[in-house]
Amino acid sequence: MMRITWRNRYKFPVFLLTLALLLFLLFPFFVMISTMLKSSQEIYVRPPYWIPLALAFDNFIKVWGEYHLYSYFRNSIIVGLGTTFLNVIITLPAAYAIARFKFYGRSTILYSLLAMQMFSPVIIIISLFRIFVRLQLLDTYLGLVLANTVFTLSFTTWLMFGYFASIPKEIEEAATIDGCSRMGTLIRIMIPVAAPGLVTAMIYAFITAWNDFLFALSFINAQPRMPLTLGIYQFVGRWSTQWEMLTVAAFLALIPVLVLFFLIEKQLVSGLASGAVKG
Amino acid sequence: MEKGKIRRISGDAWMAYALLTPAVLFFVIFMFYPIIYVIMMSLYQTNRLGILMNFTGLDNFIRVMQQETFWAVTGRSFVWTILAVIVKTVLGMIIALCLNVEFLGRKTARMLFIIPWASSVPISSMLWRWVYDHEFGLLNQTLISLGITQNPPVWLGTPIWAFISCIWVDIWIGIPFMALVFLAGMQSVSKDLYESASVDGVNAAGKFFYITLPSIKQIIFIATLLSSLWTFNDFNTIYILTRGGPAGSTDILITAIYKSGFEWLRFSDAAVMAVVTFIILMVFSLFYAKMYFKGDEAL
Amino acid sequence: MKKFLTVFLIISLLAASFVFSAGQREPEKPKVTVFWALYDGLTEAYRTELQNAFMAEYPDITLDIVPVPWDQMYDKLTTSLAGGNPPELSIIGTRWIIELLEMDAVAPVEDYVNQATLDNIFDGTKEAFINGKLWGLPVAAGARILAINNDITTKVPATMEEMRQEAIRISRNTNKYGLIMPGRKHTELTDFAYYFYAAGGDFFEIKADGSYGKSLVNSPAGVKALEFMVQLAKDEVVPRGYLAQTRMEAHPVFYTGDAGYVMIGAWVESALQQAGAGFDVTYAQIPGFAGYDSAPLVITDSIALFKDAKFKDEAGLFLDFFYRDEWKARFDELIGFPPVTISAAELPQFQTPLYQVLNEAAAHAKPWPLIDGFAEMTDIIWDAISFAFLGQKTPKQALDDAARAVDQITGF
Repeated sequence: MMRITWRNRYKFPVFLLTLALLLFLLFPFFVMISTMLKSSQEIYVRPPYWIPLALAFDNFIKVWGEYHLYSYFRNSIIVGLGTTFLNVIITLPAAYAIARFKFYGRSTILYSLLAMQMFSPVIIIISLFRIFVRLQLLDTYLGLVLANTVFTLSFTTWLMFGYFASIPKEIEEAATIDGCSRMGTLIRIMIPVAAPGLVTAMIYAFITAWNDFLFALSFINAQPRMPLTLGIYQFVGRWSTQWEMLTVAAFLALIPVLVLFFLIEKQLVSGLASGAVKG
Repeated sequence: MEKGKIRRISGDAWMAYALLTPAVLFFVIFMFYPIIYVIMMSLYQTNRLGILMNFTGLDNFIRVMQQETFWAVTGRSFVWTILAVIVKTVLGMIIALCLNVEFLGRKTARMLFIIPWASSVPISSMLWRWVYDHEFGLLNQTLISLGITQNPPVWLGTPIWAFISCIWVDIWIGIPFMALVFLAGMQSVSKDLYESASVDGVNAAGKFFYITLPSIKQIIFIATLLSSLWTFNDFNTIYILTRGGPAGSTDILITAIYKSGFEWLRFSDAAVMAVVTFIILMVFSLFYAKMYFKGDEAL
Repeated sequence: MKKFLTVFLIISLLAASFVFSAGQREPEKPKVTVFWALYDGLTEAYRTELQNAFMAEYPDITLDIVPVPWDQMYDKLTTSLAGGNPPELSIIGTRWIIELLEMDAVAPVEDYVNQATLDNIFDGTKEAFINGKLWGLPVAAGARILAINNDITTKVPATMEEMRQEAIRISRNTNKYGLIMPGRKHTELTDFAYYFYAAGGDFFEIKADGSYGKSLVNSPAGVKALEFMVQLAKDEVVPRGYLAQTRMEAHPVFYTGDAGYVMIGAWVESALQQAGAGFDVTYAQIPGFAGYDSAPLVITDSIALFKDAKFKDEAGLFLDFFYRDEWKARFDELIGFPPVTISAAELPQFQTPLYQVLNEAAAHAKPWPLIDGFAEMTDIIWDAISFAFLGQKTPKQALDDAARAVDQITGF
């Protein structure tokens, strides 16, 4: 591996700077860790302190069992996976078409993909609700999956388009010459080569769905169907907030996302970049 | 792109349309139809359930635009977006530069930087509300015990501090995306370029400005564009932290839309502001995209 | 190529039919949905038990009690009403009933519950009785009171002015705060209303036919109340961060024993318990200003039945079930509100000093005005209060502007 000599000189200062930035940016996260290990009596103490008197691990047991966190977890996973799956099904053919075919309206579609990012869910939620009532999609996983897909699709398509466009056509042509059908080329050549991009798109879709709050609030009434973000809000009462419970739940909600990031970190970064560059 | 090769398969346009059908159908049903309804609401008088009553043309627009608060809120949206995106870009760039240097624990650091982006915005905002708390919050406690100040500000209490506090949370959430994308761009820059620059005696700053920055120009463009759109529409942060207060000093367009529609049940007013938002962002992204795609024959 | 296209189209069609058919199944048995507000103290265990107990008694009915955070309740209700799919029942702030009537969204609840259930509810709490019909059953009704930390002071103030003097004394002589005053906008105007009502104020003039007229928020009473609040801030008797405190941030300062007085509701006792507070508390009436009678704010929440709901009769059965002592009294006890039912009021757990003060307060308490658009007016008045606190306007100016804006909404 090639060493970049000029960098060596900066290694230690950069390390220190990174550490300082991390301490600064992760401050709320430290507060979260401190709060979630306190007992309910230690939350409101003046002046506040960092280290809990006794580590209140039973907060975890309470939140997981008594407050049904496991069921919220399950729902979030179902909705996240559903959104990811639907995204892939729709986005693959669409992105491939934009990247590899020349047709009338192509640039319009590209522009619209970008423009779609400017619509906030807040604005269309009531109309969307009416559609969902008509389609009887309230209180269903499918409803949440559809809503989240609508708001992730433009970004994932954009990403995949960039990826497909970056694959040299020669690879594809070689396959065609070897007798692969176009469909065969897509499945056997294009998708494997574009796998990092696809993974990025999938993770993006999953995380967006996992973190959604507004759709869940509007479209889900049945408690057994509630996802995690909505479940966490149970701890915000009318007159006070159970911070120790809320932070436990927030912490648990963060873990799967971090694990995912950890697994695909490399592909994610290169995927984001190529999606952005090759547009 | 090489034109000749595309032309070779351009007879397949019909297939392209077929492949695009699911995506287009999806957008038409769940995105375009609701948006058209919003546009209709802005042109009609609506009742308290958002049902269209009678057509009033541009009356709603005239009424809303006569309100002083509308202009204040719109102006604040711009300040909010521009400030936030600039800070996100700068901090994201600094972090990306740090992470581009190989040092012990770099991979761990990269993971940790993601945390603000990985957690859900409403929940992060709640958490910040707890951090900012004047009596029980650990932020002020830390500032005092570090001796930085004995009199920490009331973060969400005064107009200026409330605005800064809200915008900081938005920035905080947005930094990791910027840093990751920039980092990816930096890693795709050929190392030979830096090598030869070193041979020529170019210093680190020179390398950044003459090699790194030009190489990732396109990435910066697209990342700041997306970030601007997201920031302009950042609703959860402000709503959870201040509900637009104190005295309207943190209200931006998207929170005003929500308030008019969902709380005051003035759906037409909300729709007018939504349409204004569309127009602003449309003009902005067209302008921006034109710059971005300039010279790219793919379009 | 053709083959691929055919396959692709079939898959798309299948997917589409899946989307549309997924909703087609009608629930095989009646389903009652209840938007259930998350009061502090109300446990998840109670919600589950209530739900299961009802379904055990009525196996033909599915009951879905949906926990909704208070902050989101109004918005969630708005969305479901505007979307044409209301729940059967929802807990609401009683003042919302006006908006709901305006939307023609509610059904008279009295037509769906037993006469016995209705008779068991105190008439005084039936605030949702409008135009000769009862549109919502009171679910929680409580007047606000003054809680005093006896470790800091034992003085029960007879007037607002006395309270201020004592608060100043506390702040000067100890490291505690004299009193709690939330100064950041939240969904309710409670904190202004305490002082406003104590100065004999009313939000609107009442016309001869009983309807509301011009806004009186800038009346001498309003100005007096806001000037007093600004003065309290200047006296530095309230927590330094009051401007950033809603009641959620402010009240815990009392629970930790760091403030002498707080104007609060009945939940204070369970909140103190939860916080592990180790000091004695006296409960008293919120005083009036000198020369005015005590007139505490009373807040009622109701449970409303929606007109377009599918299973209104079944919802009525649930209400009858819920208002039995076995459930309703436990509900009251958990959330710390005085009972709204005659039978529950006689139970021993509601004979404590706190409940005596609450009952006394209820006798001369004043509710919110029941007027369309009060959510927007609340916002306007809150902004006026903020302007005054921040010194950007004088209390008089701020309230004059607010009154003008409110009159614009009501059309006076």
